[in-house]
Amino acid sequence: MPSRDPRIVDLVSVAGSRGATYADARTVEREHEAVSVKDGAVESVTRTADRGTAFRVIHKGAWGFAATDRTDEAAISDLVNEAFRRAEASASVQKRTVTLASISAQRGEYRTKLGRDPFAVPLAERIDHLRAVDAASVGPNIKTRRSSIAAYRTRKRLVTSEGTDVSQEIVEAGAGLSVLAVKAGRKPASRYDSRLVRQAGWEYVEHLDLVARAGRYRDDAEATVDAPLADERPTTLVFAPEFLALLVHESCGHPTEADRLLEHEVAFAGTTFMWPDDRGKLRYGSRHVSMTADATVPGGMGTFGWDDDGVPAMRTKLVDKGIFVGYLTSRETAGALGVPVAIGSARAEGWQHFPIVRMVNVSLDTGTTPYADLLRGVESGLLMEAPASYSLDDKRQNFHFSTQSARVIRDGQVDGYVRGVAFQSLTPDFWGRCDLVADDWELHGFLSCAKGEPLQLMRVGHGAAHARFRDVPIEVRE
Amino acid sequence: MTLLGEDRLLAPLRQALRDVPADDADIHVHRRRAAITRYAHSSIHQNALSDETHATVRAIVGKAVGVVTTNSLEPSDLRRAFKDATSLARASRPDDEWPGVAEPEPIPAPSAYHEETAATTADAQAKWIGVVCAAIPKGMRAAGTAQIEVTEDAIANTRDVAAYAPTTMAYLRALVLSETYVGSGYAEDLSMRVDGLHPEGIAARAAEKCALDRDRTQLIPGDYEAVFEELAVAEILRIVSLTGLGGEQVREGRSFMSGRLGEKVTGDRFTLIDDGLDPRTIAIPFDVEGTPRRPVTLVENGVAKGPVYDRMSAKAAGTQSTGHAADRARYAPGGHAANLTMAGGTATPDELIASVNRGILITRFHYTNTPDPRAATMTGTTRDGTFLIEDGKITRSLANVRYTMSALDLFAGIELLGRQRLARDWWSSNGMGSIYCLVPPIKVGRATITGSSPV
Repeated sequence: MPSRDPRIVDLVSVAGSRGATYADARTVEREHEAVSVKDGAVESVTRTADRGTAFRVIHKGAWGFAATDRTDEAAISDLVNEAFRRAEASASVQKRTVTLASISAQRGEYRTKLGRDPFAVPLAERIDHLRAVDAASVGPNIKTRRSSIAAYRTRKRLVTSEGTDVSQEIVEAGAGLSVLAVKAGRKPASRYDSRLVRQAGWEYVEHLDLVARAGRYRDDAEATVDAPLADERPTTLVFAPEFLALLVHESCGHPTEADRLLEHEVAFAGTTFMWPDDRGKLRYGSRHVSMTADATVPGGMGTFGWDDDGVPAMRTKLVDKGIFVGYLTSRETAGALGVPVAIGSARAEGWQHFPIVRMVNVSLDTGTTPYADLLRGVESGLLMEAPASYSLDDKRQNFHFSTQSARVIRDGQVDGYVRGVAFQSLTPDFWGRCDLVADDWELHGFLSCAKGEPLQLMRVGHGAAHARFRDVPIEVRE
Repeated sequence: MTLLGEDRLLAPLRQALRDVPADDADIHVHRRRAAITRYAHSSIHQNALSDETHATVRAIVGKAVGVVTTNSLEPSDLRRAFKDATSLARASRPDDEWPGVAEPEPIPAPSAYHEETAATTADAQAKWIGVVCAAIPKGMRAAGTAQIEVTEDAIANTRDVAAYAPTTMAYLRALVLSETYVGSGYAEDLSMRVDGLHPEGIAARAAEKCALDRDRTQLIPGDYEAVFEELAVAEILRIVSLTGLGGEQVREGRSFMSGRLGEKVTGDRFTLIDDGLDPRTIAIPFDVEGTPRRPVTLVENGVAKGPVYDRMSAKAAGTQSTGHAADRARYAPGGHAANLTMAGGTATPDELIASVNRGILITRFHYTNTPDPRAATMTGTTRDGTFLIEDGKITRSLANVRYTMSALDLFAGIELLGRQRLARDWWSSNGMGSIYCLVPPIKVGRATITGSSPV
């Protein structure tokens, strides 16, 4: 747990005496260790640490925020002055005042449950593990191999003027793998995954079975570099959970962020096509498509005890049997929309940022059909294993995805590879083509969802199972 | 952030290096004060200031390297960081390709710092926003950002390399939205100096586009003549830089230059250099390894001339670093071209539009990516000002379109070039893969549109 520096309690008290209607102070300490191996040699061994203090007030109806990594008394007290200066500047150009949806005061601690602390695993053991992974990646056309293991620890404490005082210690472990196949006269083929991360200990790295996974990635890249181009025609696409996790993130997670409704992100991240009047009416997808935001999922990268508004972890439905029903909110956005707090999604990257609406764990709900049965319903189609390039419009409505690895499905069997597959679609049209979700739900973690100014990279979680989409037009490019 | 200055920032670095229990070592420090005021519905909704310090130390034992970062400049913390980095290096394995730390070379004086800009207050930022909101016509609303950033970078190593550079950056953007229509218009100013921001001009440009953006129609996918404004060109240059301008990308066969150095890869009118000594692109005259930045001609009149290098990629290529090592926490290794200058011309915006028989005007893009890095192919949707041009005049507002095309094919079709302006792509405007571009608007003979958003 973070150090119990009494000064952050004092900061909040001082803010009250200077007329702030709300104040909170947050200390954050972060550690990160990473080891990477490239082509059999240690590429880097890094250890990162930082700590700092954030202070936020509502004064004259407007937010002011300041953060520093200095710890001297002058710097800490200057946080108050700077936050008030910025709140007063905000109030000079303001048409609506900030209103926070109410919550009860929170007290307590949250800590990730660990099997084996990933920071305690000897460096030599991590390097040896990666060298074994690297050896499994070697192939006749594999030109570049990279693998890495990382551990993260965040300790933070939040104190608010409403009586909340909560502390959390979150530990995450993960790995990265990539191979690049290059062959004369052929287009290079990459296979990689940087989303193998979970709120867990070293046991998750072992669970990943990186050696076996490296062999699969090598085989995928070797086969893809030699594969024929796919046929360009509407076809049945089966998406692996790894691919769907990103599709859920981009096309459901982002457009349900409530700050987009208020146009807080309109100049950068954009807005949405899912407006308040659409709740309960807008058909987002087929009846097979339900999506849930859940900050309580064990191991999720969006799991916590409390968000950075001090809202306890909750779960709420975003899409129910194809119908849009809910938003991700902060206390500010719930207050602006006039709705009670149904989920706490105010999160800040580190100590230096203002909390904004971020995803927690946003997942496609599991189905009940075994994956093999789902495949049996495909006479001819493609299995889309992992995303490559992706691009979305500012409403999260028009998107384009390409794939690293596309497998051929014939008569319910996966057999062979094709390359060059991409698709563009409109969100409701795409999810409307989903006719089955399998029961093999699994959780994926992202480290760097980008949003906000200055940019904040946020950890989020996404679960999904294999799912089937009919008659999807695809593009094929050399 | 109180600016420490060269002597006060380098002193603790030199002191910490004296006691390093390793064969070699270096330390790079980046300090940043970011003051960001965001507004929406013509009202400020976020106003934040953060002071950050990032110190990255590397300790080398034999050919093994340990890296530790901290955000403290206290001598005891830096000593501990070097000790930890040395421990990591000892526990690591040697890298036979390790190129060694940089040797001392003359480094040009920094020139991208403006004192008055560094002293900008929260009140001043709010006033710019107030000016924008007051200047737009009734019935419109504005959103955007006012930003002041002050940085200090310093590098020192055990071979007596020592360098320091401060920078300032001022930025103001406005997205103007119509109450009556679905339309939007966008404009921004970016400069090393606060006097390079013109709130009234930004408001006028954004409002003018917003007023034009009504009664949208959808464009049928296909090839069109096109005018790309500066922000749209910067977006394409970002893809070119991140996928093709690093030495490691070229060596590994991932770049459009791989196997094609000295060959014509695009049209005669396209010349691109990286100039880390040009203050107009808010450049720092050395990289995070302490190598002075050298101007690098990347593509000259359509011919691929060569990439940028850091020390590792330069050694692998049998050449010298060009001073383009970048923070490994944010960028891929192998050289990062972040201060791009694309050759421009003299065409005015009106002349660019007048040269189009039937085509489109693109103001900027949203969330672009590259489905084919080796071909420098970019896909992305347009936003905040996409218009149909017929017989040299803007005639219709268009729903946002999806553009998908190789940058090399696009630049092969350049017919006219406008005057350069400092711009950043959508991602870099927010700090991700940050690339500054001195870039002209262009008129091209062919841009491939592959889809349309709903009206």
